[in-house]
Amino acid sequence: MTTLILALAVGAVLFGIGLYGALSQTNLVMILMGVEVMLGGAMVNLVAFWRFLHPEAYSGQMFVLIVMTVMALEMAVGFSIATGRFRAKGSVEMEEAQDLKG
Amino acid sequence: MLQAIFTAFFGLAAIWFAVVVFRTHSMVRSALALLFSQAAIGGMFLAMQTEFLGVLQIMMMATEMAIMTIFMVMYMMDPGGLGAMEMTHQKRASQVAGALGALAALAVAFFTSWGPITPEVRPAQQVHDLGIEIMERSMLIFETAGVTILTVMVAATAIAIMRRDEE
Repeated sequence: MTTLILALAVGAVLFGIGLYGALSQTNLVMILMGVEVMLGGAMVNLVAFWRFLHPEAYSGQMFVLIVMTVMALEMAVGFSIATGRFRAKGSVEMEEAQDLKG
Repeated sequence: MLQAIFTAFFGLAAIWFAVVVFRTHSMVRSALALLFSQAAIGGMFLAMQTEFLGVLQIMMMATEMAIMTIFMVMYMMDPGGLGAMEMTHQKRASQVAGALGALAALAVAFFTSWGPITPEVRPAQQVHDLGIEIMERSMLIFETAGVTILTVMVAATAIAIMRRDEE
C-alpha cells in the first residue's frame, strides 16, 4: 500500500508543477514542457494502478503506451505551430499571439 | 521495502528536476532538467516492475528532449539565460492553480480506499502478455495510434512549411 500511495503522491505533485508551468510560462515551448510534466504525472498514476491493483489487466500498460504517443504527438504539433509562428512573427511568445482575440 | 525506497528516490528526483525546469533561466538546462525528470519517471516504472514501459520511457524521452533542446535554442530570445529575462505571467494565479490541482490529487490518493494490493507480478511474463494484449484485444487502438501518428506527421509538416500571403 505504501508504494502505491507514494507513487500516487509523486504523480499528484508532478501534475501540480506541470499545471503551474503550463499556466505561468509565456513561451510556447515552455508551455509544452508544462504539459509534458503533467502527462508524466498521469503516467506514474497509470503504472501504479496497473502494478498494484490490476496487474493481470494489460490494458493498463496499453493506456500508458497511448499516453506516451499523445506526448510525442503533442510535441510534434506544438513544434510545428512554433515553427509556423516563428516564421510569421519572429517570436514564439504567447503574449504577443493575440491575432484571433476579438 | 526496497521497492518503496527506490520508488521514493526516483519520485523525488522526478519532482526536483520538474521544479528545476521552471526555475532555471537557461533553456538548455531547462530541457535537460525535463529529460532527467522524465528519465526518473522511467526509473520509477522500473522500480514498480514495469520493465518494458520503463525502458521505453527512458529511450523515448532521451530522443524527444534532445530534439526539444535544439528547438529551444532556435526559438528562445535568450537561450543561454544570461539576460535573466522574465518569461512568466499571471504567476500568483498559476501557483494557486498548481497547488490546488496537486492538493486535490493528493487528497484523492490519501483518502480513497484502494482495495487489496497485489504484492507480486511476473516480470518475465510481462512483455509476452503485453504483446498478446496489443495484438489481440487492443489491436484496433494500437492501429489507430499508428494512423494518428502518420496524420500528425503530415499535418505538422504542412503547418510548419505553410506558404503565407506576404511571401
